[in-house]
Amino acid sequence: MNQRNHDRTKRRDASATTIVAAVTSKPSRVRIAKYAAIAGFGALVTGCAENARQDTFQPAGTNAQKIDDLARPVFYVAGAVGVVVLSVVAFVVMRYRDRGQPIPEQTHGKPALEIALTILPALILIGVAIPTVGTIMALSETDDTECVVNVTGQQWWWEFDYPVQDGCMPGGITEPIVTSGQMVIPAETNVLIRGTSRDVIHSFWIPRLNGKRDMVPGRVHTLRMQANEPGIYAGQCAEFCGLSHANMRMEVAALTGAGFEEWVANQLEAYTPPEAETLAAEGEASFIANCSRCHQVNGLEDADGNLIVSRPDLQVYPGAAPNLTNLMTRNTFAGATWSMLRPECRDNVWDAPSEEFTGRYLEGVTPDCFAEVDMREWLRNAPAKKPMYADPEKLGPTDGLYRGMPYLALSEDQIDQLLAYLLELK
Amino acid sequence: MFTTGTKFLIGASVIALVATIVYGVGQDGVLGTVGLASATVGLVALTVLNAILRDSNVFADDEAPVETTAAAQYAPGASVWPLGFAFGAVVVAVGLVSYQPIVVIGLVALAATGGEWVVQAWAERASGDPEYNARVRNRLSNSLEYPVAAAVGIGILVYAFSRVMLWLSKTNTVVAFTVLAATILLIGFTVANRRNIKAGAVGGVVAIGAVAVVVAGAVTGIDGERDIPVFETTTVWQEEAILHPVEYAEGAAEGKHPAGLICESPEEFPEADENVSETVANKSGAYQVFLSASGQLSFDVPGPIEFGATAMSIPRSNPTNVIFRNESDERRRLSLDLGVQTVEVEEGGETTEVEAPRQLCTTLIEPGGAQLVTVVASEPSFAAAGVENPNGPPGADGYWFFVPGVDTAKLELVVP
Repeated sequence: MNQRNHDRTKRRDASATTIVAAVTSKPSRVRIAKYAAIAGFGALVTGCAENARQDTFQPAGTNAQKIDDLARPVFYVAGAVGVVVLSVVAFVVMRYRDRGQPIPEQTHGKPALEIALTILPALILIGVAIPTVGTIMALSETDDTECVVNVTGQQWWWEFDYPVQDGCMPGGITEPIVTSGQMVIPAETNVLIRGTSRDVIHSFWIPRLNGKRDMVPGRVHTLRMQANEPGIYAGQCAEFCGLSHANMRMEVAALTGAGFEEWVANQLEAYTPPEAETLAAEGEASFIANCSRCHQVNGLEDADGNLIVSRPDLQVYPGAAPNLTNLMTRNTFAGATWSMLRPECRDNVWDAPSEEFTGRYLEGVTPDCFAEVDMREWLRNAPAKKPMYADPEKLGPTDGLYRGMPYLALSEDQIDQLLAYLLELK
Repeated sequence: MFTTGTKFLIGASVIALVATIVYGVGQDGVLGTVGLASATVGLVALTVLNAILRDSNVFADDEAPVETTAAAQYAPGASVWPLGFAFGAVVVAVGLVSYQPIVVIGLVALAATGGEWVVQAWAERASGDPEYNARVRNRLSNSLEYPVAAAVGIGILVYAFSRVMLWLSKTNTVVAFTVLAATILLIGFTVANRRNIKAGAVGGVVAIGAVAVVVAGAVTGIDGERDIPVFETTTVWQEEAILHPVEYAEGAAEGKHPAGLICESPEEFPEADENVSETVANKSGAYQVFLSASGQLSFDVPGPIEFGATAMSIPRSNPTNVIFRNESDERRRLSLDLGVQTVEVEEGGETTEVEAPRQLCTTLIEPGGAQLVTVVASEPSFAAAGVENPNGPPGADGYWFFVPGVDTAKLELVVP
């Protein structure tokens, strides 16, 4: 082989090597780019939900609006700073990457730049701090309160009680009201939550109405709540509180003023027992036998006419179980985890235009709309449906008290009776 | 003349022979005697064989190689581990027949001393160089000995220190720690300023300090803990009056304490009222009840009071902290009457159920003072509907705050 042929062969080999390298490296870059694009797109679309129930960027009340007014500009500024910084970093990395060039002359100190880079972030932080402090102070105001609701958290549900007061509505609330899962408030009214906890630290958070506030045992914390218009606003316990933390939800139902008055009047109506010799009447007896030790139904009497007062403190660790008076005026149960409305009925209420929401909400759970499957499963074996510390063999740390609803070994007949009875608690 | 192994076998043979004779004469057992005699014969045979083979050492007659072996160089020194091992065995035995947890101590002693013994025995024959053997032994054992010894030493120091702390009175503790802190500061100052101070001197001071702490701990531990006075709470007095009415009445008759329930009494009870205002640690996030100079009760809650509300409302079954602030001119206590409860009272060996007031209260609070009481109402106030509360206004039912000795001080508590 002469020299020319030898050189040609070497060049061919070299080009073949290049082609092989291209073949092996190009797809991997494409794949990486593809995955990066998918990840980026995924990250983007997570913010695209139009009807996100717990979206802090869709404020629906004056308090949430204050937070939004503060957070958006801060995010914009932080985003701009982030883009500038990352762009400069990317430029420097690409422009001055190691390509075998000699190390450039090293310098130390650039006073003008250093001073500028100290003053600029300080000014930005001052610019953020001033409105932040103002917003915090504004969100702590209680002088403009028009209605007070006591909120108590426990594993894993929320209790709401309305103390006797002149506020909330004309004429005020004349008797205390206790409910759970869904807090009903009058819209366009400054409500003050006075919150605490019966067991561990929880955090009350309705993202569209205000920020979160820890509820601490032994202490009382306040939180403002106001909804601009009628509607239902979902929330979630925001402090990890045990096994079913994820199932500790709550909603705020904001009604028109007249609607709220109607709701209060209904809550304070005297208890009406079911008609005799009906399935519901059998359910009442079954409720007294199996449920009334923990669950209070105001006005419920035993066969001798004695008022039944539940004693959940003797059964469950937090000392409380949901008060089931007027249960069917709510539309969720078990820590607002499951709906008591069929999907179409739920959508009819939850997605109602604000001017129609109050009426639809006050209809409560009707027999046609009752989603009994979840409730039936709950009664059949509650700990199997919602993780709770309800194993009777493992109650040593709580001196025999349950955390959550235990398995009651109810028969299917008893469950039928109880469902018929509960459906009448309205 | 005889090798070591042969000497051992001769001794064993003689013991076997003596045992055979003693057993044969004393026990009158044929089989046992035959067995022991057989063992004796076997041992004698082994002895003879070993005497011929000279411990199977082909160089037994050659002095030079034997003297160069590691075994030949070793002259075992005194060792404390067999003694510790024996001590551990005795502790195990004692523990087995007396108190079984002691067995654990014995087993630990057995394991520790046995391990040390094995390591030392092995190391002493690792080579013919005693210094090397010592290094080998230390390298293996020190990695365990030092941390264990440090843990044990620190444990002893901490335990001794805790005995001293529990022995000292409240006042003497302040004095002792002032002196101790000053001493440490002085020593530190001295060490810092004398650059040529010898390490041994510093170590000696530290050692003396450690020994002093251990000795002080031993002495104070033997002397026992200081007397810690038990301050009676209002709950204890209340329960005593309800659950042991006879003894309680006797105590009142003897002048040991006032008669009647503490929560209904404006009088001071022994020990219950000391330093009450120091008990309020929770200054915010709590409900407050005020007693005014005019004898009226009012309340405050986090956030605004419910508009026009005349009753305080707290959640059911929830420990709620209520601070009582006495703004009157006399020592007063705040009491809460939560209706009645059924309690079991034992008298004369028999248990009877009686209805008793469900009350809780603060101690007597000086003018301008405050105390926190934690209220837990397990039943809603409507459970007491229709039953007149003797400590509320005339004819009123439900739950009521009141101040013994001040008839005008009434405040309703609503539990939904």
